Parts: sequence; structure tokens; C-alpha cells
Amino acid sequence: MALAEICGMSDFDTFRREAPFDNEIAKMSNNFTHNTLLSVPPYSNPAENLAYFSKDESGRDIKIKFDHGTTTLGFMYKGGVVLAVDSRATGGQFIGSQTMKKIVEINDFLLGTLAGGAADCVYWDRVLAKQCRMYELRNRERISVAAASKLMANMVYNYKGMGLSMGMMLAGWDKRGPQLYYVDSEGTRTPGKVFSVGSGSIYAFGVLDSGYKWDLTDEEAYDLGRRSIYHATHRDAYSGGIVRVYHMKPTGWVHIDNNDCMDLHYKYQDEKLQEINKV
Amino acid sequence: MASERYSFSLTTFSPSGKLVQIEYALAAVAAGAPSVGIKACNGVVIATENKHKSILYDEHSVHKVEMITKHIGMIYSGMGPDYRLLVKQARKMAQKYFLTYREPIPTVQLVQRVAAVMQEYTQSGGVRPFGVSLLICGWDSGRPYLFQCDPSGAYFAWKATAMGKNYINGKTFLEKRYSEDLELDDAVHTAILTLKESFEGQMTADNIEVGICDESGFRRLEPSHVKDYLANIP
Amino acid sequence: MSILAYNGGAMVAMKGDKCVSIASDKRFGIQAQTIATNFQKIFEMGPHLYVGLPGLATDTQTVMEKLRFRKNLYELKENRPMSPKVFSAMLSNMLYENRFGPFFVEPIVAGLDPGTYEPYICNMDLIGCPNQPNDFVVGGTASSQLFGMCESLWEPNLGPDDLFETTSQALINAFDRDAISGWGAVVYIIEKDKVTVRDLKTRMD
Repeated sequence: MALAEICGMSDFDTFRREAPFDNEIAKMSNNFTHNTLLSVPPYSNPAENLAYFSKDESGRDIKIKFDHGTTTLGFMYKGGVVLAVDSRATGGQFIGSQTMKKIVEINDFLLGTLAGGAADCVYWDRVLAKQCRMYELRNRERISVAAASKLMANMVYNYKGMGLSMGMMLAGWDKRGPQLYYVDSEGTRTPGKVFSVGSGSIYAFGVLDSGYKWDLTDEEAYDLGRRSIYHATHRDAYSGGIVRVYHMKPTGWVHIDNNDCMDLHYKYQDEKLQEINKV
Repeated sequence: MASERYSFSLTTFSPSGKLVQIEYALAAVAAGAPSVGIKACNGVVIATENKHKSILYDEHSVHKVEMITKHIGMIYSGMGPDYRLLVKQARKMAQKYFLTYREPIPTVQLVQRVAAVMQEYTQSGGVRPFGVSLLICGWDSGRPYLFQCDPSGAYFAWKATAMGKNYINGKTFLEKRYSEDLELDDAVHTAILTLKESFEGQMTADNIEVGICDESGFRRLEPSHVKDYLANIP
Repeated sequence: MSILAYNGGAMVAMKGDKCVSIASDKRFGIQAQTIATNFQKIFEMGPHLYVGLPGLATDTQTVMEKLRFRKNLYELKENRPMSPKVFSAMLSNMLYENRFGPFFVEPIVAGLDPGTYEPYICNMDLIGCPNQPNDFVVGGTASSQLFGMCESLWEPNLGPDDLFETTSQALINAFDRDAISGWGAVVYIIEKDKVTVRDLKTRMD
């Protein structure tokens, strides 16, 4: 007994039961306090050495199949910023969801779009939302879009080469007015007026570029975004579902509407037929 | 003889437009053992002489009536070895058809194919025409068929016919005896009678062969069975 | 990626009461890109004989023409219509002839026997292994989804109208979960004295 006390054996039981439990919680959630504490491949210089493990013994690519196809777009015009996205999530050629939310409401004045790896986008947008809120609490003012996008770009840059896959747009309204940034997992971060990201972006750009001008009315802008996404969903197998349109105004973002691609198709088809019949 | 000048190559026409080698082949057939075929309303019969030159011959070992597939059979007048080659080819063609279409070959199709082989031997170098005429009988799509195939590659669909030695008499006999509503049993009887017309010597179950084909397929009659038919013949 | 999934497409055939159905989507795409939405994959080979050729589009057309050639030659030679059973045997042989350099199609044959009007369906893999079940056959890139739909929707002795509904629902709901098939669909209902062809209104994304 005495020996046990001297040796601290009386605490042994509690130590075993509670301390590991606390440690575990800390371990499991430490990426919330230190978001960069993700497990990286367990060897030195993972970004470079990961490449050695990207092929199997017969030389085939080892690849995790997840959501890759998407069409998202955003553009600035006199009324602010319009974002429009599809809602399809695919794993390979299988359609996992037709109702995915690819616009993330980071806060009332900041929207992010997702393209690429769904999990990557959702996770890092969540981290970004936290960071932005922390900034707000510390500085008693909202973070600028430029700063937010830089936070994002810097965070994902730490993992460059390790397989992150994301292409996102950040839209917001800050002291300097409406803002639109493109950020991706390769480290690109650039402001611009017109962006489209994802496998369907080439099709979206076709419509968007031909209809875009600065002086669009709000309704025209929504319709342009909608049509661009619709046409992309029509041509691109990995885009589809619902077209969601958001508008970033001086008063914060507004969700304009959701439209099923099927309804849009037959609506546009009718309009086209009426147009032909008129002539 | 003028025709001899054109007889060295079977692919050369004579001035009168004949291929004399084919005519010689037909002559070989006409000199061969007689055979008859008769179509009845519920089947078809083919029969032929199978005389042996010596009493030492082991009869019922080599047959003249051969089955091609379950529902097609064949006999011949003319040269035995040529016949056996055609039987072999016909069996192969029937199996090939079945392999391709998963369906037994229709009699007409088999006849066409056999005839095509025989025709090929009238137009190729280094070969001679077959010295046989075939009688091919079959049953498909619910009815009997009877065909004759000549060395030229020509083929005919008969209700009843005779080939080989004395075939003219045989045919005349059949013309008198044939009727559309003949039953298979009567047809076998008539076929044997037709053979008997020109048969030299005593006809027995050992020196004729009979094959019949009906709904259940083709089969060669056992000598005992033939004997029963012969018993009814005066 | 499999070359069978290069162009995309979904197909199904079902047996009914004295009738059969065969249906397919209408997409022609190159991987993710949709090129056309009116691509024919089901072909009439006779009054009661239809063949569907999902798979690589170029082979769809080549195999169809080779089949038409062989089938026409057969019908001239034999002076009778080719039955679906014979047609399938011939197709199976034709595919196996190319065992070591196959056509990338997984054919479906549907029809009625020309003599008995017995319903017949059959499918095979790209080298001609035939399969003749009593209920339904599926093919194309949405075949897993189609199996699921057919297993739950199909029942024995469906009349022509119910068969149409069942086939259509199975097809549409299957390819709505496949990225590379859809964009319109066509359904054939084959009966003794008529064949009904109907286009379906579907999602176009």
C-alpha cells in the first residue's frame, strides 16, 4: 500500500481513465484550434515525396475518386457581384447528389463557391469562416475580401502538391466596394471581373462572355448567370441539377433563386420556338 | 470422235455448248445402283440397292443410307467414295449452320450447300466432277422434303423419283403409282416395289437399304424391319 | 476509364405479356462533353426484331451495319424472316469472331418470334456471351442503376401500356443517376400487330 502510494499508484486508475480521454479530444479536434495541424503524409518533405506513392506496383495512377465536375461562375457589374452555380456532385460517372450547395455563405458579406474536391472546399471554407469571424472580433470591423482571399490562398498553399483540389471564387462587399477573387489550390489568387470555374466553365464562358457588359440590370445579370450555368449543365455531363443564383449587394448577399435545370431547359426551348415562330 | 478433243479438260466447253465430263459423270450415275425416293404426306422414304458381289461380304457394315443431321438423310447412285466425301462435307455444313444460328439447318439450305460443292468440282482445275447423284430427304417446318443433287450442281425437288440403272423405268413406275395422300408406310412399300421393278435376282433385307424421315427425325430401317415390308410384297 | 464508357448510354429491354419493350437514352457524348442528343442506338432489324447497341458509338454503327448485312443475306438465302433467337446466335458468333480485338458494344436483342409471336429478350457482353432471362436485360454505363430499378419495378405479365410505363420509369430514374447517359430517351413497345415508338421528356443535364 505504502509503496503503491509512494509510487503514485493511487492515481494510476484515474490517469488511465481520464487523461487519455482528454488527450483524445484535443487530438481529434486540434485542427480547429490549429487548422494547419492536419495529418500530412508521415515522411519528410511530403509535397515532393508524395509523388513516389502516386502509382501502384503496376504503374497505374492511384487516385481517390471524388467530386470533380462542377460549373460555377461569378461576375461583377454595376449592381454588384452575381454568383451562379450548379448543384451536381459526382463520384466518377455516378451522380451522388443533385442538390449540393456549392455556394458557401461565409458571413453576411462574404460568399465562396466550391469547385474541385468537395471535402477540400467545404473544410477550408469552414476554416476561412472561422478566421474571418476571429478577425471581426479582434478588429471590430469586417475583414476585407482581399484579406480573406489571401488567408485562404496562404492556408492551402501550405499543402501545395499534396493533392488538395479546389478552385474557388470569393465574392464580397467591403469598404472598397464589391469584390471578386479567384483562389485555387495551386496557389493562384487573383481579383477579376468575370470568372468561371469547373469542368463546365468552358461552356459557361461561351454564354457569359457573349452576354456580359458592365451596365446590366439586376434581372439581366441574374438571367445571364442562370443561362450560362444552364448551358454548361446541358453540355457538361458532370454539371447539373439546380442552378442557384446569389447577388452580392452593398447590404450583403441575397439569394435570388433556385431553378431546376429540367424546368429551365423546357422554358428556354419554348422561348426559342416562340422566337422562331415570330419570324 | 470430235468430243474427245474437248474431253481433256472438264472446264472446256465443246462447240455444241456441252461440258462432256459432266455428261460422263451423269453416265456413271446412270450405270450405278438404282435408288428411289418418295415423299408421303407424313414423311419421306429413300431406298437403294446394296448388292454384294460375293457371299463373303459382311453386309450391314458399310451403309449407303446415311444420316446428315437428326432430321436429314441421304442416299446415292454412282460412286461410293465420292458419296462418302459429300456425306462428310454435308455433315460439316449442317453442324456449321447449327453453330452459327443455333437452329437445325433447313433441308433446302443443306441441299443448296451440297450442290454448291458439286458445282465447284465442275469449274475448278485439277479435279473431276463427282460421279454421284444424291437423294436428300428431310423434315423441317412441319413438312417433308425430297431433293436430288446431280454432279453438275443442279438440284431438283421431287415428290418421287428414281436414279441409277433403269431409272427411266423406275420413274414411269412411280408416275403410275404415286398419289398425293400417300402414307409413309405405303410409300416405303412403293419404294421397294420400284426397286424390285429392275432388281436382278432375289431381293432380301440384306441387299436393299431403306431410310425414312418424319416428324421424329431421320433413321435407317433395320434389316428386320425391311423384312416385314418385303413380306408384303408378292 | 473503360472504352465502353467513352460515349455513354443506357439501355433496357423487358418482357411483357405477348409484348416486349426496348428503350435507350439518346445521348452521344465524348466523355463529359455532350455532342448530340438525338443519337440512335436501337435499330429495327425486322418487323418484330430490334437490336440495341450501347457502348462505343463508332462500334454501335459498325456492328449494326454488319448485322444488317448478315441478316439480309440470310433472309435472301433462306427466303424467310430471321427470328430473334437466330439473330442473337448470329450476333454472338460475330462478336466472338473478334474475341481478341472486340467491338466495344454490349448488345441487347428484343423481339417476337415471327412464327409464334413469343416474346424474346437477350443481351450479351462485348465478346458475345449470351444471356436470355425471363424478365429484363440492361446495358450501358447506367447498368447498375438499371438493375436496381428493374429489380424493383418489373413484374410478370405486364400489358403493353404498363410495360411502357415500367420501362420508361426504370430507364429515366436509372440514367438520372448516371452522368454520361440521358438527354432524351426513346421507348419501343413491340406487339404482334403494332410497334409503338415514343420519345420521353427527360432531364437535359
